[in-house]
Amino acid sequence: MKLNLTVQPRFRLNFRPLVWVLLALMGIAFVIAMIRFANGIGPVTNLSNAYPWGFWISFDLFTGVAIGSGAFVMAAIVYIFELKEFQPLLRPSVLTGFLGYIMVVVALLVDLGHPERIWYMMIHTNHTSVLLEIGICVMSYLTVLAIEFAPVIFEGLKWEKWAHLLHKFIMPFVILGVVLSTLHQSSLGSLLLIEPTKLFPLWWTPILPIEFFISAISIGMGMIILESSLSSLYFKRGLELHLLEKLGRAVPVALGIYLLVKFVEIFIAGDAHFLFTSGLMSLLFWTEILVGVIIPMALFSSKRIRQSANGILISAIILLVGMILNRFNVSWFAVQHADPITYLPTFMGNNIHYWPSLSEVLVSVGIFSAGILVFGMAAKYLPLFDNEHPQHAAGD
Amino acid sequence: MTEIKHHAYLFDATRCIDCRACMVACSVENNIAMDKTRIWVAGIGIKGEYPNLERGSMVYHCMHCEHPDCMSACPVGAYTKAEDGPVIYNPEVCIGCRYCMNACPFGVPHFDYDKGIIDGAFIDKCTFCPQRIYNGQEPACVQTCPTDALEYGERDELIVKARARIAAHPDRYIDHIYGEFENGGTSYLILSHIPFNELGLPDLPAEPISEVSEKVMEMTIPFALSWGAVLSGVAAGVHLYNKNKEEKTAAEENTEATK
Ligand code: SF4
Repeated sequence: MKLNLTVQPRFRLNFRPLVWVLLALMGIAFVIAMIRFANGIGPVTNLSNAYPWGFWISFDLFTGVAIGSGAFVMAAIVYIFELKEFQPLLRPSVLTGFLGYIMVVVALLVDLGHPERIWYMMIHTNHTSVLLEIGICVMSYLTVLAIEFAPVIFEGLKWEKWAHLLHKFIMPFVILGVVLSTLHQSSLGSLLLIEPTKLFPLWWTPILPIEFFISAISIGMGMIILESSLSSLYFKRGLELHLLEKLGRAVPVALGIYLLVKFVEIFIAGDAHFLFTSGLMSLLFWTEILVGVIIPMALFSSKRIRQSANGILISAIILLVGMILNRFNVSWFAVQHADPITYLPTFMGNNIHYWPSLSEVLVSVGIFSAGILVFGMAAKYLPLFDNEHPQHAAGD
Repeated sequence: MTEIKHHAYLFDATRCIDCRACMVACSVENNIAMDKTRIWVAGIGIKGEYPNLERGSMVYHCMHCEHPDCMSACPVGAYTKAEDGPVIYNPEVCIGCRYCMNACPFGVPHFDYDKGIIDGAFIDKCTFCPQRIYNGQEPACVQTCPTDALEYGERDELIVKARARIAAHPDRYIDHIYGEFENGGTSYLILSHIPFNELGLPDLPAEPISEVSEKVMEMTIPFALSWGAVLSGVAAGVHLYNKNKEEKTAAEENTEATK
């Protein structure tokens, strides 16, 4: 069968100005990164000995990995549970995951003191280190995502045979990908296990990895809804609303389990008294729970909202905002470092209250812009949205 | 000097006069700038109401834990724990991720924020002066201390000494040696007359705080293998089920067609 794989130009929107803005943001980030490599992390960031991890870790690592979870959720739905109707959502989410993880790695290269040594993780391995597990998993998962995405590129290049061959042997990679995702999504929570004295008790629990994994599933579904909706807006293509509606039905279930686990743990651990008594921490906690869990649970439970394109998009955005706040809380806001008055004499010049500098944010923004740009180009030149060719579904 | 099997420090906060000679000694001995000191003295000011005034200061450097959390956390194993006490950092493999700084409950490891990749930005912390202790000398800070607030020796002996001191002056000391059991024990033992958390020391259980994550890490590989098996099973099951169903419907259609 002859397939028409050339993607018709669908751009009603004038893409040019946006491209220039993105390129400019990337340029700024590049310059800042060069200054950082030349002069050190100190001059461009507000990181200090008291706050060794800041915005880059919370935004690029914690948030970046979390929002990349759409890829493994979709791969599991389509390949493992063989719900083939969801096929049209698969490619964009795999690509988002792939780009998301590349952005994580790029950001880490800026953040690491010795970026040129990142590969040391493969030769000097310390088996008790959670960070090692994350490093190895992310590197391997990037490879898996590349393999999962390769058929799209092959199709774009009209190498039908290769694309087909890869489809045939995709299953082991899919399973490996889901296992790797499970591992590093949860390990991101494990990173904080070693900081029981620093992370506020409402968040610190030995089951942090489990909570992280469960929430990653709902974040994944939220991301799939978000990226399908946005790309349908920008690229003026049809929206698979019936699929999103179906997906949305699962969200309250995933969130419900998360909520249950979280509160049962807090009560068992005896941290319940912190829920209302710890000022800013209680406020952050409840904001995260309300915005990230309770409100989206209510919204996604309503069929009327799920069936409206705007309703489901807004619900997904609310969910993501709340969940991202959770990642920021765990990795930054709720992490209280040692009491600075006694720990760090003032002459050491450490700023004790960490708030990111403009350049830190600009680096992340620049990296993010690069991701958006590549996604846009892929949407333009590759058969990313293959709903016009359902017969070419993978796994056949 | 008798050979020491387990090097350790003892710091007595009641004796410290906040003169900071140890900081100078450390900088000189290790040739480091004062603003990158590996040891720092935190004066916590005067406490209480007249006439019951108290002042306190805390000398603070690497605790040389028995179960170092930095060592547990470092992805590339840049830290090692010597059997005779010191926790040693190896800049040769450090990738500069600064996870050790997060992991250390005492906030000890410090990072060169002012160095680019050509100069090389590394972690720095107290080394236990190996160049001195393995040559029969005391660490620089200990040797300089004018009031013997810092002492050095065999860990067990120091504990005995500290106990004796508490017993001799029960009114002066809190009846606790910080570091004997905290975080699985440290090689920097502390005696104090004011509560330890006021000195800036965290309340730590006797179980090393890295225990939880190490247990989780141990389960990783078995979990990954069984999770992979479960997923493959589910995938195969679903596939067979779908295939059966398809065949059945196909067969039914066939029989219907022939009818
Ligand atoms: S900064 Fe260096 S020593 Fe510290 S955890 Fe990272 S690699 Fe290890």
